[in-house]
Amino acid sequence: MDRLLRQLSQLAITVFGIVTVTFFLVRMIPGDPAQYMLGDYATEEALATLRAQLGLDQPVYVQYGLYVLRAVTGDFGSSVVTGRPALEEILFSLPDSAILAFAGLAVAVAIGIPLGILTAERQGSWSDMLIMIVALFGISFPVFWLGLASVLLFSQELKWFPALGASSGGGFLTHLHHLVLPAGVLGISVAAYITRLTRSAMLEVLGQDCIRVARAMGVPERRVVWRLALKNALVPILAIVGVTFAWSLGSAILIEVVFSRPGIGSMILKAVSARDYQLVQAGVLVLAVAVVLVNSLLDLAYGLVDPRLSTR
Amino acid sequence: MPNLHPVAPASPVAPATAPRPVALELRDLTTVFPGDDGPVTVIDGVSLAVRAGGTLAVVGESGSGKSMTFLSALGLVAAPGRVRRGEVRIDGADILHQPPERLRRLRGAVISMIFQDPLTALNPVFTIGEQIVEVLRAHQRIGRSAARARAIELLARVQIPDPARRVDDYPHQLSGGQRQRVLIAMAIALSPKILIADEPTTALDVTVQAQILDLLADLQAETGMALVLITHDLGLVARYADDVAVMYAGRLVETGSMEEVFTRPRHPYTRALFRSIPRLDGPVDEELPAIEGQPPNVARLPPGCAFEPRCTVGRGRADCCTRRPLPLAGDRSGHRSACFHEDLPDRKEAIR
Repeated sequence: MDRLLRQLSQLAITVFGIVTVTFFLVRMIPGDPAQYMLGDYATEEALATLRAQLGLDQPVYVQYGLYVLRAVTGDFGSSVVTGRPALEEILFSLPDSAILAFAGLAVAVAIGIPLGILTAERQGSWSDMLIMIVALFGISFPVFWLGLASVLLFSQELKWFPALGASSGGGFLTHLHHLVLPAGVLGISVAAYITRLTRSAMLEVLGQDCIRVARAMGVPERRVVWRLALKNALVPILAIVGVTFAWSLGSAILIEVVFSRPGIGSMILKAVSARDYQLVQAGVLVLAVAVVLVNSLLDLAYGLVDPRLSTR
Repeated sequence: MPNLHPVAPASPVAPATAPRPVALELRDLTTVFPGDDGPVTVIDGVSLAVRAGGTLAVVGESGSGKSMTFLSALGLVAAPGRVRRGEVRIDGADILHQPPERLRRLRGAVISMIFQDPLTALNPVFTIGEQIVEVLRAHQRIGRSAARARAIELLARVQIPDPARRVDDYPHQLSGGQRQRVLIAMAIALSPKILIADEPTTALDVTVQAQILDLLADLQAETGMALVLITHDLGLVARYADDVAVMYAGRLVETGSMEEVFTRPRHPYTRALFRSIPRLDGPVDEELPAIEGQPPNVARLPPGCAFEPRCTVGRGRADCCTRRPLPLAGDRSGHRSACFHEDLPDRKEAIR
């Protein structure tokens, strides 16, 4: 209980920090939203009126104060482009992004963790080296390049999967069909990272005394690796999954653009070019809170894995 | 010879009426690791024997190869190290040159090992019961509840209080001494013929040390298992060992019965070891004679006797064996050493 409270207060502090950082970051984007909205031929008076309307004529600290006060009540302003509340716009497109990010992460975990364990088990063998080299390529290739390449191969040439969209109509299967390629690309690029980190977490555990003891007692190697060592490595592996969740959300944004899928990513991209401050702020905030939430949940999960962490 | 050891020998060597059979024998065991300039020999031709029910103490400085010798014997040398030659015989049959799966079945069941640091030797994320059950099920077809009952029995046998409750504890809920008891319970779970105890009490405080060693001695008396005690505590050797093997730089330099080695140490290294023990009856401000020089780097050993550079007896002497190491040799009592600067004139002739 105590642990949960501490976790929640940490969450609150983190969210406040994110609110502050996004506010100032967005204002560092060059360009005047009023100018952008009214076009190049707007009169000075019209611009001044709109700036006053948006609160942009106030000093930055006043804008910040107002922003924080409103944010506490859940009001993140309205999109200057659509006029609808910014948070509502973002939350509306959250499910699309969340599905892509989680599907990608699931693919990454399903590939990365077993491969990481196998390579740790066979450290120094040719299969270990081959997989590590492939993983290095996976990390080095930007995700949008992988996306474009896979569109060319699987959509253009082989015509296995659709190249664009998320099939807003259509049933579950159509949806899944649209998801395979973007989630696969996302998953593979993140899997490379998970593989490498799982491998090093396992290698560290496999070098520990308690593993040598298990071997000295004749416990079969399969049990040693997949049960005794793996449970020890689970805490670092969970931490890795938390970190890669942030990364897969970030990559999901790029993937959404490459595959023209709806989602927070494509929305933020449009908002940035429209200098739609409110929408960008709300979008970045929602993404950041999602990352923090997932990591807090994982923090709580550590206690289930490692008894030393749960007794406190 | 003055009384060098603070603890008097409590278990004198058993009378040699009917010599018990040899339980474990190492023959010419040699282990190498790859180094920058070719393979480095970390264990060099070690030959040892332990009789059933007997206790062999293996002593030497840190890095002298005591633990590595027995990790090699169990086939547990971590890659890229490997056993280059030699035999490990249990009941007369070599165990080293056989499929890994057969060696795995022997480990824990016939020959078992406990380690120096009970704080890191237990798996922190499993209960002690689960860990004992893991060992049982590695060797036997046994149901979960039967294995658990057996685990509680074993905990009782190593004198863990309230074993039925403690069986569900995690290692961090136990004291250091209790953890070593749990490890002993795991090691004896399948009644092995040989137990190797690698500095089992070094990480524990002094009062617990004696309890753990007495427990091992009791278990040994009950089961008749052979015990190998790896230690650098000569007081423990005097109290518990029947035989002693002294190692230096991966080689044996002296072996013999405990009484022989303690009363008539032959190798200059053994003598230097005895001189560096503090004496309870000595003057308080007396400075202990440390062994001069640095412990040897096994990657750069001299071609001959590894101790020669630090040896107060032989250093710089033209008649020392500086070309190649001297093999162990000795008298009929079984007391053997790898130095001829001792009262064995016949041997000196033979070697030179």
